[in-house]
Amino acid sequence: MAFSKDKIRNFCIIAHIDHGKSTLADRILERTGTVEARLLKPQMLDSMDLERERGITIKLNAVSLTYKAKNGETYLFNLIDTPGHVDFSYEVSRSLSACEGALLVVDATQGVEAQTLANVYLAVEADLMVIPVINKIDLPSADINACKKEIEERIGIGCADACLVSAKTGQGVDGVLEKIVELVPPPSGKDEDPLRALVFDSHYDSYRGVVANIRVKDGKVKEGDTIYLMESKKSYLVTEVGVRTPDEVRTGELGVGEVGYLAASIKDIHDLFPGETITLDANRAKEPLPGFRKVSPMVYSGLYPSDSKDYENLKEALEKLSLNDASLSFTPENSKALGFGFRCGFLGLLHMDVIQERLEREYGLDLILTAPSVVYLVHLTDGTSKYISNPSDLPDPSKVSKIEEPYVRASLMTPKEYVGAVMELCEKRRGIYQDLVYFDDYRQEVKYLLPLSEIIYSFFDRLKSSTKGYASLDYEFDGYRESDLAKMDILLNGDTIDALSSIVYRPDAYRRGLKTVSKLKEIIPRQLFEVPVQAAINGKVIARADIKAVRKDVLAKCYGGDISRKKKLLEKQKEGKKRMKAVGSVEVPQEAFMSVLSSEEE
Amino acid sequence: MKGYYREDYADRYLAVLFNEIASYGKGPYKTIYVGGGTPSVLNLRQTKTLLDVLAPMLEKGGEFTFEGNPESIDEEKAHFYAAYGVNRVSLGVESFSPRLLKLMGRHHTGDDVFKAVSALRKAGIDNLNLDIIYGLPGETMEELQSDIKTLLSFKVPHLSSYSLTVSPHTSFYNKGYEEPSGDASAAFYEELLSTLRQAGYQRYEVSNFAWPGFESRHNLVYWQDLPYVGVGIGAAGYLGGRHYQNTKSLTSYLSHGPEPVYEEEPSLQDKLEYYFLTNLRLAKGFALGDFATRFGFSFLDRYKEKYPKLVEEGLLEVGENGRVSCTDRGIMLLDRVLVALY
Repeated sequence: MAFSKDKIRNFCIIAHIDHGKSTLADRILERTGTVEARLLKPQMLDSMDLERERGITIKLNAVSLTYKAKNGETYLFNLIDTPGHVDFSYEVSRSLSACEGALLVVDATQGVEAQTLANVYLAVEADLMVIPVINKIDLPSADINACKKEIEERIGIGCADACLVSAKTGQGVDGVLEKIVELVPPPSGKDEDPLRALVFDSHYDSYRGVVANIRVKDGKVKEGDTIYLMESKKSYLVTEVGVRTPDEVRTGELGVGEVGYLAASIKDIHDLFPGETITLDANRAKEPLPGFRKVSPMVYSGLYPSDSKDYENLKEALEKLSLNDASLSFTPENSKALGFGFRCGFLGLLHMDVIQERLEREYGLDLILTAPSVVYLVHLTDGTSKYISNPSDLPDPSKVSKIEEPYVRASLMTPKEYVGAVMELCEKRRGIYQDLVYFDDYRQEVKYLLPLSEIIYSFFDRLKSSTKGYASLDYEFDGYRESDLAKMDILLNGDTIDALSSIVYRPDAYRRGLKTVSKLKEIIPRQLFEVPVQAAINGKVIARADIKAVRKDVLAKCYGGDISRKKKLLEKQKEGKKRMKAVGSVEVPQEAFMSVLSSEEE
Repeated sequence: MKGYYREDYADRYLAVLFNEIASYGKGPYKTIYVGGGTPSVLNLRQTKTLLDVLAPMLEKGGEFTFEGNPESIDEEKAHFYAAYGVNRVSLGVESFSPRLLKLMGRHHTGDDVFKAVSALRKAGIDNLNLDIIYGLPGETMEELQSDIKTLLSFKVPHLSSYSLTVSPHTSFYNKGYEEPSGDASAAFYEELLSTLRQAGYQRYEVSNFAWPGFESRHNLVYWQDLPYVGVGIGAAGYLGGRHYQNTKSLTSYLSHGPEPVYEEEPSLQDKLEYYFLTNLRLAKGFALGDFATRFGFSFLDRYKEKYPKLVEEGLLEVGENGRVSCTDRGIMLLDRVLVALY
């Protein structure tokens, strides 16, 4: 069924984690009859099990639904999902540009969070009509008036007619649907202009190649058209076009304002990054749609199979995952300690966790990950410079003139009583103070420039624990700055273990070294001989701990009934041993390779 | 037979037990061991009915052991045991320290041990074992040394010593007591080992010491991975290559009998694991010939990737006598040896 432009509403939902975005989406699908209630799985749009389990959205999704409004007219709604994590802010900006409106979901018991704010700013920047939706009004601790006041004062959006809902019970959801009809502007593009379609997500399908989620801004696209990708500069023949309801329905074409999917036998997902503009090869648009950015990984980690026989399996699994994930990068690398593996780039630690879990769960691999590292810019004395993402690649200090590291602009929103704690944390993490913005009587926004390396690990947990969970964080890449950095090596039994090297802030090296060796002492089980664990910078030992030799490990009593029990216990120990990696003569458990991050001030 | 003693329950229990014993045939058995708690709590009449059933099942020259608490054995009971052919008694001494005995809730004293040993010897039962526990909460090396000294003064042919283990749902566990650390336990054990060796005992199994020729023949069956019948509540047995265990519920045992649960048919790997787990507890280990007869292949071939490392690490020995055994250090680190072989 074709809809005229004025009956189309494209919108997304912006919310902080746990504020109820997915539940509201579920209710909308249910109310519009898109998905029968009995088929509705909680968090329908989160298609991966992992997404459902963790309550986060990783892959974007879009669904087309029809809604018969109170005015008697039937509307086509395109609900475009947005990821809800700081690792994925570029993806958020792409999905926002596919919309004309946004539902801003705020938890009535929590109020506005920094992450929400960051996304609202993105929405406002993209000229979206923002409709405030106050959720969880059924909870006893809901404070609707305070929440409205916050939205008005902090975001500057009027809340006189904010929708009041409980996505859980469905209360107020019909009101939201009416507001979408009434307030979200219909799409504006021109039918007769050359095609410009925005790719806001893509995934790989072994039959059709890369399938793109697109929003047609101008013109139209149909099967049989030859399209041209304006960023990748490549042409393809369109094989399939349709919409998702959420099941795919092949429509053969998509016109102005419509949202759907497109397949064109594209083999490589890297040709179709989010933000790409699709036009017609024969009638190319003059300008691509604005806002494209090539996403580059922020953190790198070495991924190694526990069992070196799994190298090929790991390679295959990474290839498969990267078919679907253009932001995952990997190149082979070799470690003396861990053998053959890959240096993988991720958008952030959540992304890394997700990939690790998928490799282990979906591909049955047993992995060792080295501590994540940022990308350093190393200037050499010969005038050249290079980027390194593996600390053990840092050249000899005599050849290095200076090292720069990536900094981010971080915005931390906190209730005012924790401002001191937040600033203290930022100072400890080598932050450079930028600004303190007063929002209202309750909350303030603290702005710092922070080295990315200081926030990729444990910063967020630390922030939460020092603010009773109230503070939130948003950040974006700022640039490279020179720092006093050095490579810290770890020696086990006298041998340098390359996979345990890290780049540290020199004035903090002694404390880091001490922390790391004592953590390793705790994690590495006692061996048959005493194992010294040392941290060294430029060959000079700065910290040491000794793992004493094991003395006794035997069950005292073993008679008739004890024998079967003991056998089971030994089998468990055997399993545990499989998760150890023999590094030289020392058996090291997998988690040891992350321990160089244990810089926590405890 | 753990828990509180009630005469009427004991009678009903014995009736079920006798049925169970009968179900395995008449024997004869090379060894009989009445233990797994404190069978010495039975009164004389009950002990007599039990011995009436068991005594005829012992092979001529067989080993017949009774386990008991020191305070529950007097001259009358000792004579009675001897009259029925009981030729070995194992006493749960645990410690001689009044403080540690109180901690364990044991009601005997060092004097009770002395009386029990005298009574048994008077009755002609010289083959005695005394058990002690080390690594008790707050136990010092001096306390252990004193215990060992007293233990040695009895000059019995067999001694067992166990590092304290604390299992869930026991009173020690509920009181929050902890097992000694590996290092503390090792220190106690090393003290025991060297003192007992000096006194002429051989450590023939991880926790068992004996004069040559006085090893427990019954317990050697467990450690040589040989079959045995286990009867009574919670008893474990090993027949036809399969381990089984009886119900642990008294109510169930009394009303439905032992209801033994057999483990699944063991795979070759299971059988190997059992073989090592038991045999390597023994100082003498196992004979390559015995291994080959049992499994139909050579240990040295099948484990050629694994055993040399253990030998190199000083944990295992492959002797010229054709035996594979743990070194002293290997016995201390037996779990490690086993996991490496598994």
